[in-house]
Amino acid sequence: MGRRFLLRFLKLHWFGYAVGVAFMFLASWIQTLFPRILGDTVDILKTAGFAPAGVYTQIGYLLGVAAATFGTTYVWRNLVIGGARRLECDLREALFDHFQVLSPSFYSRRKTGDLIAYAINDINAVRMMLGPATSQAINGVAVILFTVVAMARASDWRLTLLALLPLPFIVAFMLVVGRVVKKRFKRVQKTFATISDRVNENISGIRVIKAYAQEDEEVRRFERLNDRMVEANLAMVRVSSLLSPVIEACFTVSFVLNLILGGGRVLAGQITLGDFVAFNGYLVLLLKPVISIGQVINVVQRGMASLSRLDEILDVAPDVVDGGPVAAFPAHAGIAVRDLSFAYPGADREALSGIDLTIPAGRTLGIVGRTGSGKSTLVQLLMKMYNVEDGRILFGGTDLNDFRLDALRRGFGLVPQDNFLFSATVEENIRCFQGGYTPEQVAQAARDACIYDSLMALPDGLGTMLGERGVNLSGGQKQRISIARALIRDPEVLVLDDALSAVDTVTEGEILANLRRVRAGRTTLIIAHRISAVQEADEIVVLDAGRIVERGTHAELLAKGGPYREICDLQ
Amino acid sequence: MKSATSSSLRRLLSLNRPHAKKIALAAFFVLLVNGALLLQPYILKVVIDDFLTQHVAQQGLYSLPAMGILYFAVVVAAGFFSVAQVNLVNQIGQKIMRGLRTRVFRTIQLLPLKYLDRTSTGSLITRATNDVEALSDLYTDVLMSLFADAFLILGIIGAMLLIDVRLALVSLCVTPGMFAVIFLLRTKIKKNFQRVKRLIGRINGFLAENLSGMKLVQSFCAEKEKKAGFTGLNGEYFKSTLFQVRMNSVLRPLSDVFQNLTVALLLWYGMGRIGASTLEIGVLYAFTTYVKQFFSPVSDIADNYTTIQSAFVSADRIFELLDQAPTLEDLDAGLPLDRLRGDIEFRHVWFAYNDEDWVLKHVSFHVLPGETVAFVGETGAGKTTIISLVSAFYAAQKGEILVDGIPIGDIRKRDLRRNISVVLQDVFLFSETIGRNVSLNDEIDSEEIEDALKTSYAKVFVDFLPGGIDEPVMERGSTLSAGQRQLLSFARAIAHDPAVIVLDEATANIDTSTEGLIQKAIENVARDRTTLVIAHRLSTIRKADRIVVMRDGEVVETGDHESLMDRNGYYAEMVQGGESVGENPDDSPESSSGTRGAAAL
Ligand SMILES: Nc1ncnc2c1ncn2[C@@H]1O[C@H](COP(=O)(O)OP(=O)(O)OP(=O)(O)O)[C@@H](O)[C@H]1O
Ligand SMILES: Nc1ncnc2c1ncn2[C@@H]1O[C@H](COP(=O)(O)OP(=O)(O)OP(=O)(O)O)[C@@H](O)[C@H]1O
Ligand SMILES: [Mg+2]
Repeated sequence: MGRRFLLRFLKLHWFGYAVGVAFMFLASWIQTLFPRILGDTVDILKTAGFAPAGVYTQIGYLLGVAAATFGTTYVWRNLVIGGARRLECDLREALFDHFQVLSPSFYSRRKTGDLIAYAINDINAVRMMLGPATSQAINGVAVILFTVVAMARASDWRLTLLALLPLPFIVAFMLVVGRVVKKRFKRVQKTFATISDRVNENISGIRVIKAYAQEDEEVRRFERLNDRMVEANLAMVRVSSLLSPVIEACFTVSFVLNLILGGGRVLAGQITLGDFVAFNGYLVLLLKPVISIGQVINVVQRGMASLSRLDEILDVAPDVVDGGPVAAFPAHAGIAVRDLSFAYPGADREALSGIDLTIPAGRTLGIVGRTGSGKSTLVQLLMKMYNVEDGRILFGGTDLNDFRLDALRRGFGLVPQDNFLFSATVEENIRCFQGGYTPEQVAQAARDACIYDSLMALPDGLGTMLGERGVNLSGGQKQRISIARALIRDPEVLVLDDALSAVDTVTEGEILANLRRVRAGRTTLIIAHRISAVQEADEIVVLDAGRIVERGTHAELLAKGGPYREICDLQ
Repeated sequence: MKSATSSSLRRLLSLNRPHAKKIALAAFFVLLVNGALLLQPYILKVVIDDFLTQHVAQQGLYSLPAMGILYFAVVVAAGFFSVAQVNLVNQIGQKIMRGLRTRVFRTIQLLPLKYLDRTSTGSLITRATNDVEALSDLYTDVLMSLFADAFLILGIIGAMLLIDVRLALVSLCVTPGMFAVIFLLRTKIKKNFQRVKRLIGRINGFLAENLSGMKLVQSFCAEKEKKAGFTGLNGEYFKSTLFQVRMNSVLRPLSDVFQNLTVALLLWYGMGRIGASTLEIGVLYAFTTYVKQFFSPVSDIADNYTTIQSAFVSADRIFELLDQAPTLEDLDAGLPLDRLRGDIEFRHVWFAYNDEDWVLKHVSFHVLPGETVAFVGETGAGKTTIISLVSAFYAAQKGEILVDGIPIGDIRKRDLRRNISVVLQDVFLFSETIGRNVSLNDEIDSEEIEDALKTSYAKVFVDFLPGGIDEPVMERGSTLSAGQRQLLSFARAIAHDPAVIVLDEATANIDTSTEGLIQKAIENVARDRTTLVIAHRLSTIRKADRIVVMRDGEVVETGDHESLMDRNGYYAEMVQGGESVGENPDDSPESSSGTRGAAAL
């Protein structure tokens, strides 16, 4: 998947890369002009009584080479290295796109800080592979080919073969070490991600850590992680530091062979001293690019390690996908749930079993039940956060799995149990970043959620920036903003999942009254522990251990004297 | 800005001090490697001059094969020293990084909430990760090559000066121009790095927020808008990095350009002297070679320039955070207290999170040891704030808070907080096992954990988990129901056997029957402890010894349930507000959905 992305990217931007590589060659070629110009100048200077004009021309050439070197290098670097930067950002966006379609079941397995490291650190390693390392490799390979050809042309083919003798060994060595580097770099990246995650988690949980004075122990635990990071890094460098010196040593074998055998042949008069020196010169020329390829291998292996890590994520297919083509949520539709059972992936206990429900359009359903009885699960299934079998849930007669995901979810306005707010302005939070709402609508939603006055008391009113997860608000304020966020959508189905738990009774009463007004004739689901929140519903169901154990109106259930009655008596 | 960098530099260097010996050893290895580099051409020269040109007789070690082997030996030795050097420097670098990372982490842990509330997680995370990593690049890639380069440059300048002072000066006179260009670009490059790193921090924060809120984004179909936000940020980052590439594209060819310029100048100057026969061509030619050798390390330094700049900007960012040291919480300062009695008194306390936006206004109350006191009031009245003050998370601006009769600021924070267990309104669970989430890092054996789980009725669901108390909790407890998370956080508080228990909406997400059971259990646990309770479900607090009624940051009433009801004030109003509907179930029967839409099913 990551590889496919790279190919697609190259296909899209091949022209820029081609031009860049062309300029790269041009730059190398221009640099080879330098010795020639210098040689010519020296030749001119050698002649007694030379004309300065000739020298000036040569100096002019030198300046020209300087300018051309600058120009060509500037162009190829911008194209090739800049291209890798573009790739970095495109890849990050592709990853983000992917993150956005992955389902909750993925997020309950993976950790945030860890995922962030993929998006920043691993992508960076991929960029290093495709930018600096690739250009260095192209340069190196070009120089090697150029030199080998020149070498074969200028001297004995046997000597040339001799020079290339260690090459197979070098390649084999690079492959072996490269694999080890890759493995160890993967460990480095993994540890890095763990560190990033630990820091993230410890910041999010800082209030608990402080409340229980756990700071010292946490630092100690972090140090252990830190040691692992050091260990992983050292282990990698232990291998990667071998690359260049070993390659150089291998290569020296040709050097030494040339020294001994070539020297012998000079003495035997088989080749001239000039040939010998020239050949030596070529070997020196080869050494630098071969060693640089060792460094390239290092970077490339790291990039490959990160790419394969990225694949672990990019290859995860979203569990929940568009089911069918229906692109609009039916207006004024009833909800039917037929014998719905559900177990969370990996759990051996059903969270819901045999749920049957009919919510006629425009009615209000109240759901009560013990902690962990499956109330929130039911809501998540209605919104298809997890997969549901065909024929289990229907909206206005249309199966849940016939909808496009966005169409389905746009039909809902959810007030989730944990009030997640973004660190954006209050107004953006209420709009949930969607356009198309007038300021009046925002204000009205806030009023309906009984939060308008508190918000206006904030320093910048609705424009006040919230801290992360809304830290600078009280629990009840957060919850009511979250209610306003659902109300402003004027959804076909409004779902309040324990959405009044953090507000006082007086405010609760006001909000419920507002709801009755604005939700008149609209479908509404209210999950609550306080009876006061559900007693006016058209129907109330009581869940226990994933089953509906009782249903009816408040009055009916009171009369029944079952579990519902018990709850009422306790309040 | 400049002073920030130079002091960062000084502080960075001071980190090396403990490793001075090893660094010297590494530097020595660098010299050895360089020496070997010089030895290689010399061996070649001996072979060519002595054996191949002058045909000196070979004998023993003074022979062609021996020279070849010597050559090989020199390369191997140089390789050995360079491996040793790289590993040594890396060890030092990693040690320093480890130290920095821990210091950054410690600082983050000890920052006061006042600071943390206003700081984005992303910018803190990147300091402990990417910024430290940028410094690590300095060690692994740059430091020793810089040393070797400086060594080479000095050697070459020396050689040039020895041969011909005037030519040497001519050769060197253009180089300052190159450094002038770098110097001119310096501010731009640095500013850009600051921007790049700030943006990486923001991207980090954006991801942190959106990945943990992904479910919400998906339920609200806000993917497109969030993507737009991300693209904006990422695009800004892209632009800044492109600028960096552009700057690099100017810097990298610079040494080639200046090398050509220097040679051109040499030729121009030499031309005159050769014309006047005061200079030999050979010397001039030799100088062009020296110039080439001279520019090789110079270009190295120029290439590394951006890495160095990047590292300095990261160092600035790290030290900026470490400079918060004076504001950090000192858990160990103050009066040690083993066990609190649990006497808590507020005397005319005023508190504001910012400036003068008073959240608490002359709040006074006195909680006696062993008492259960409830705080009620409309949302945003300041109840959570009061308990934050009791834990000394914030300091009151005016008035006095006394714990066991001692001003709270004088008590050792560690002792204070260990004695107070808070069940926070926003439950936080760590990605650890159930057991560790209860015990945290403290030594609480599994029996006590089980007891705590039993008391909080969390055991009911924990027993159903395949791993029991060893079952891992996913991030923030995402695979548990909200109520279950709250039960665990409750168990955590109980297991720590505190002198004071604070329950902030601790049962808000828990069903009434479980709550009732917990309450009975708590009554046993809390018998001789001070208990502070905040609850909106007023049924929960009816039995409290005293109820403090808050409104708009002020205490408006205090008393027990009966006396407050008798007063018929704000509290009575709230109780009735909650019950009015409850007591008259037929009050507005089904009127809510007056327009009974045709059932579409
Ligand atoms: N960290 C903070 N920074 C700035 N303002 C804050 C912060 N925390 C709370 N506030 C503000 O202080 C006021 C009191 O908040 P507090 O959390 O104490 O209310 P509360 O009585 O506990 O309400 P609730 O019942 O909703 O939990 C609120 O207006 C809130 O916006
Ligand atoms: N993502 C998940 N993966 C696995 N199990 C889960 C997941 N979410 C919830 N559960 C389990 O499913 C059961 C039902 O959870 P659910 O959140 O629906 O309860 P609830 O009725 O909403 O409870 P509460 O009143 O506490 O909110 C619980 O036992 C819970 O532990
Ligand atoms: Mg729930």
